[in-house]
Amino acid sequence: MTATMPQPMTSLERRYRRLLRAYPRQYRAAHGDELVDVLLESAGPGRNVPVPKEAWGLLVGGVRSRIVHLATGSAWEDGLHLGITAVAAANLAALLPYAGAVPLWTLLSALALLAVLRGRLTVAFPLTLVAGVKAVAVAGGWQMFEPTLMPVYPSVLTGRALFQDSSPFAVAFGYAVVLLGLLVLMSRRRETPRIRSWWWPAAVVAVAWAGPSWMEEGSWYPLSLSRLATEAAAFGLAVAGCYLARDHRWALASGIYLLVRSIELSMNADSLTRQHLAYWGVLAVLALGAASVPFRRRRHCLD
Amino acid sequence: MTPPVRRPLRERPPDVADAPLNGIIWAMPRGTSEVSEPMFFVLAALRAGPLHGHAISKSIKELSSGRVQPSVGTLYGILERLNERGVITVDREETVNGRNRRYFRITDEGRTLVEAEARRMQEAASLVLRPIT
Repeated sequence: MTATMPQPMTSLERRYRRLLRAYPRQYRAAHGDELVDVLLESAGPGRNVPVPKEAWGLLVGGVRSRIVHLATGSAWEDGLHLGITAVAAANLAALLPYAGAVPLWTLLSALALLAVLRGRLTVAFPLTLVAGVKAVAVAGGWQMFEPTLMPVYPSVLTGRALFQDSSPFAVAFGYAVVLLGLLVLMSRRRETPRIRSWWWPAAVVAVAWAGPSWMEEGSWYPLSLSRLATEAAAFGLAVAGCYLARDHRWALASGIYLLVRSIELSMNADSLTRQHLAYWGVLAVLALGAASVPFRRRRHCLD
Repeated sequence: MTPPVRRPLRERPPDVADAPLNGIIWAMPRGTSEVSEPMFFVLAALRAGPLHGHAISKSIKELSSGRVQPSVGTLYGILERLNERGVITVDREETVNGRNRRYFRITDEGRTLVEAEARRMQEAASLVLRPIT
């Protein structure tokens, strides 16, 4: 093995290393220096700004590498875990604007999501069960554990009361999907679920926020643009993941989430507008896209 | 430009019946017998011997007369995929300027694959380039 002394970092190297953050941490640790070496050797003398083609190649290569890195292990177990993570995040997002009024139940729901994110299934199950029972009780107007009843008025994130446009069945369905998914995953026990990204809490806030408004004033079941954008972006990433990795795990997760949203929308069938249908249509098309792209024809035998 | 000739599934071309490559190429599903152009040039570059990333990049540029110049991100994506599929492998590692450097080597399977691909392209080209009788 040949070894020579490392040289001081130039501004070009610093910029290339910043771009290399697109790659997974493990890949960067193993091969980041090697890529930087090739990038610096390829760069012309006196250059201190990355070549645009190289910068784009690193970003695309990094995203691809991240997706391929995620497509390991059992696809259906990982997809199920991802799906219940998304539904648990939506369950928390429904409670988050009312954290001031129902702090204990919001905290339990947040802890349940945290346990799901960290792959602690046995911890997540009782937390989800208790938070779910209380949420269903509040939605149904039944007293359970403590005297909180509807209406529960909100904070800054939304102007509507808790579960004003939902039904006990839709709330119960959301929690039941998470509980059922946790039971299935716990019964398998083949591998510990993947630890999920810290971006999920940010998605919860975006879904919980009721603005910007894009529906008509006085709409019975308003959907926020922030929710639509977050969900469409997540489903779009699912399509990209399924396309690049030829793997169905993200399609399964999208399908689970879409099922829960469809039930919730169907509970408000009388007051749905074209905008609601467009919203559902966007998610359905993206979910179908995610399910179909892994079957795309291989252009090359090494694809 | 003439489109590439596609062969039916598992049909062995009569003029390459003696080729040892049929196991790989002709057993593949319909329409998948080509490797991508950058992959082809990577494999072609490595036929000369083990090379590291920058040398592969330079070799591809030379072999293609400057036409194919994948970015470093694209090149390493290709190298990782070829490595995963066993058509190339890491020959050795060196440390230069304090940075690790992998030398890649083509495997027997990779050599078979790229030669089969070259043969396929040669057949396709001969359809156009041979004198019309």
